[in-house]
Amino acid sequence: MRGAALIAIELAAFLLIIGETYFFFMAIVPLGPVPHGLGEYTAITLAKVLLTFGLGVLWLVVVASITRLYVRSKLRPHPPTPSA
Amino acid sequence: MVDAGLLLAAFMLPFLAILLAMPRFMKYLRMSGRVVDDVHKTPPTKVPCPVGPLLFIGALVGEVFVYLAFGSLIPLVVVGGAGIAFAVGIVDDLFVLGGKTKPLLLVFAAAPLVVAALLQSGVYDASIAFPLLGSTGAHFTIYTLLVVAAFPIVANAFNMMDSFNGQISGFTVLTSLALLFAVVLRATFDSGYSLARVASVLPLVAISGAFYIFNRFPSQAFDGDSGALMLGAIFATLAVTSGVEIAAIIAIVPAILNSFYTLSSARGFVERRRMTTRPTRLGEDGKLYASMEKSAPTTLIRLILLSGPLDEQGVVREVLLLTAVSCLLSCATSVLTWVH
Repeated sequence: MRGAALIAIELAAFLLIIGETYFFFMAIVPLGPVPHGLGEYTAITLAKVLLTFGLGVLWLVVVASITRLYVRSKLRPHPPTPSA
Repeated sequence: MVDAGLLLAAFMLPFLAILLAMPRFMKYLRMSGRVVDDVHKTPPTKVPCPVGPLLFIGALVGEVFVYLAFGSLIPLVVVGGAGIAFAVGIVDDLFVLGGKTKPLLLVFAAAPLVVAALLQSGVYDASIAFPLLGSTGAHFTIYTLLVVAAFPIVANAFNMMDSFNGQISGFTVLTSLALLFAVVLRATFDSGYSLARVASVLPLVAISGAFYIFNRFPSQAFDGDSGALMLGAIFATLAVTSGVEIAAIIAIVPAILNSFYTLSSARGFVERRRMTTRPTRLGEDGKLYASMEKSAPTTLIRLILLSGPLDEQGVVREVLLLTAVSCLLSCATSVLTWVH
């Protein structure tokens, strides 16, 4: 089936979106104790920004890697079929 | 019974408005010379474009009716966001905006939503409901920033799905039905959920359904950027005001993937008219072929065509198959989120 590989990529993107959004709101947003002072506040905010950026990068890397594998497999010259 | 009648009218009014007015509007566009080449035909045919203004009028008719019938602020917010995206799109249709200008301007399509939320509570809930796991806590600032960032992404994602006959209209019909399913399910199982939110989704289903009749192969009308960006902005607004964000995102995964592929392989926001290497080419046999050059941009269409050439109808069928799968995943997400 022509679309099977693309549906698999779609499924991977779906699972990543669900997992990462959940991780963002349940782990990153409430991260750390209530900050006391500017230094602690800056450190926690910076950690949140970096972790969020990391989630975005993870999504991009995984989806791009799967797609690159698919494109490479399609662009690779196929060996000629032996004639009878 | 009264509610059922109002919901039916919220669907039928914009549907009939588009269905009845489209032939005249297409004639007007032809007479005023507003036609573009359908480049995937040999030889290219002339198609009236843009019918985005008529789609906007259809959305306006439907949402104003919902406002008058239910007295909710939501339809006005939908119209506000749609209007701004439509304005950006029509300027692009007439004068061609730069690849980076368009997404920047589309940030303003979120303004009516955010302003309404600041003025009145309950326009949207600043938490996200997850399948099986329940809702997160409310984080107004972070949620609102994400919403503002989402508007250009979603509107552009819809616009990038507007390449072939029936692609954008078919895509919007399927995704808006998945959105409607999520909203109806939430209204059924969440006692505090207003019927106005269900009614607000119906004009989107109606205008995309009526537009599909004219946009399917062989196309008699193209929506232009004004139509595609507006459809994306309406979808984004409804996803937020209805509180079904996850289901909505899942439904449009093919469009998100397509945007991501295009942006990453074209190295940023590049207007498609300025791409140096095309991802696909039209063969002399009328079929579409994937570019086999390694430097060619990776788009969803190129990925589909890498398995072999297809005619235009075949390409759209594959895109709509992928969309149908993502809409089924969206419906499963909705069931796991709202059915207790």
